[in-house]
Amino acid sequence: MAVLTCLYLIYLVAPIALLLLGSFGGVWANSMLPSGATLHWYGALLDDPSLSRAFRTSLTVVSATCVIDVVIGLPAAYALHSQASKSVRFAGRLISLLPVAVPELTLAFGFILLFSTDTLPWLGTSSLLIAGHVVLTLPYLLNTLLADMEHLRLAELEMVAGSLGAGFGNRFFDIVVPTLRHSVLSGLITVAALSIGEFQLSNLVSGFLNRTYPTFLLQAFYGATGFACAATVVLLSLALAAAVVGALVARAGGSART
Amino acid sequence: MAISFQNVTYRYPGSEVGVFGIDLEIEDGELLVVIGPSGSGKTTLLKLLAGFLEAQSGRILVDGESVSGLPPHRRNLGIVFQAYALFQHMTAVQNVAYPLKVRGVPRAARLEQARRALARVGLDGLGGRLPANLSGGQQQRVALARALVFSPRALLLDEPLSALDAFRRAEMRDEIARVQRDAGIATLHVTHDLEEAMSIGDRVAVMHGGRLLQVAAPQTLYDMPVDRRVGAFVGKANLWEATVSAPGWIASPVGALACDTTGFAPGSSVTAMVRPERILPLADPAEAKADGVVLAGAVSLDRFAGPIRRFDMGVGQSVVHGETAGYRGPIAAVQIPSEAIRLLPPETVDA
Repeated sequence: MAVLTCLYLIYLVAPIALLLLGSFGGVWANSMLPSGATLHWYGALLDDPSLSRAFRTSLTVVSATCVIDVVIGLPAAYALHSQASKSVRFAGRLISLLPVAVPELTLAFGFILLFSTDTLPWLGTSSLLIAGHVVLTLPYLLNTLLADMEHLRLAELEMVAGSLGAGFGNRFFDIVVPTLRHSVLSGLITVAALSIGEFQLSNLVSGFLNRTYPTFLLQAFYGATGFACAATVVLLSLALAAAVVGALVARAGGSART
Repeated sequence: MAISFQNVTYRYPGSEVGVFGIDLEIEDGELLVVIGPSGSGKTTLLKLLAGFLEAQSGRILVDGESVSGLPPHRRNLGIVFQAYALFQHMTAVQNVAYPLKVRGVPRAARLEQARRALARVGLDGLGGRLPANLSGGQQQRVALARALVFSPRALLLDEPLSALDAFRRAEMRDEIARVQRDAGIATLHVTHDLEEAMSIGDRVAVMHGGRLLQVAAPQTLYDMPVDRRVGAFVGKANLWEATVSAPGWIASPVGALACDTTGFAPGSSVTAMVRPERILPLADPAEAKADGVVLAGAVSLDRFAGPIRRFDMGVGQSVVHGETAGYRGPIAAVQIPSEAIRLLPPETVDA
């Protein structure tokens, strides 16, 4: 059992270790390990204008996706939660989960068909890229919110607020939003992590000037290995940072509830 | 009359459960407790008054005005819920000030009022704490202060003590009664706890199957229940199916008993009710003093429970359940004083 666990861990860690090695290695061609040590690849990353453009695009897409997800997701989750009819709630959840179940490629192909026409010529625009990310990530935020609304007994809190004289606006902004603040935050960490790493859809619907970071990485691997490794390490660090922040937020949320 | 239910009916969609033809009035300053088993409709009654459910027929008046169609936030009723339901992101004082905030009371004034309201429920100085840092009893006091701070037209309590342990429950029960009396506000209190209902209610309404069986002062309910169901629900009771054999006498499974049979013709079926503490244990049948039939039998169960002693005695084809507070000696017979026997209409088919 212990041997299996070790093998599995090695299997998990080896690619990351190799990436790190490659990013600091000199030449790496036709050998198990690279030869020499250098910081050259990180320097080259900084100097590469297409990388900084991809980085900016990714940041823009992630931020916009997060904002739009909250603006749509919070009221949508609230509407689904307040809906008395069980069948409507089920239908709402099903529709919101479809983008998770359907392969991203299907969505991307749909986008290509629909938005390459003269009537809707938006393929390759940043707006369409963001819209795609919103469709893909919204279900995760919705599910986090719906689960927490149940768990935090939001319906009862609203009943109380109503009895105390609070109308809909007061209830939503004074009770619903503050009660769900930790849920929104932890849901957004997931959204951001998914959006940063998203490749399939971005690769197909982004234009030449608004490639996201993962699509840029694919291009990088066609060139020097060390450069590609260094670029991947940057993405990995971002993902790791998101995970740590997510865990911290979840812990803060957990302690606030007990 | 502060609150008045007039022939109110509500049936949950797709079921036979609800409340039916409810007529009930609560006077200013009165604490009316609604009690009944789960599913009897007591919480439905509270939800109808609060506006969380809308009656399908009949009407509900608060201070003489119909509240039909008014949403909960326009009814101006203070409600305390079972699980406290405090807003976790607000401090105690902010929780209490919230109903004043939505009514547009300026910040300084509402915080001052909230502090005074907290002091009235014994939480002076704890206003700055978040609910998570308060005990269950303290949270319930905050909820009580919050429900009263905006001078509502009535106070509604939905099993407010059920989440507390036994000791806190007794303490909080007295606190609620005190605060309610100080506020002089009409109060509807829903509970399934008999002791709670009997000890704080000015009147108690017993519900069963969505209908009101009896509304009366606690002592009346205990001594003179309208039927067998109420009699059994509001306390332990010996209930025997019997027949009036002659004026002043009934034939029961434990033998012939002397009692007041006014209102029941000879030959009619009745249910005879005797509370166990009214049964007098005797070491010797010859010791009988007051009037009342003496029954000899064998004790089948004898339990010492601290302040009281419970015993069962097999008599005839039935059992007499008795309770005594002071008597420790042997029991060879029991005496049932005539005035301890209450005749009720016989059990009906739907009961």
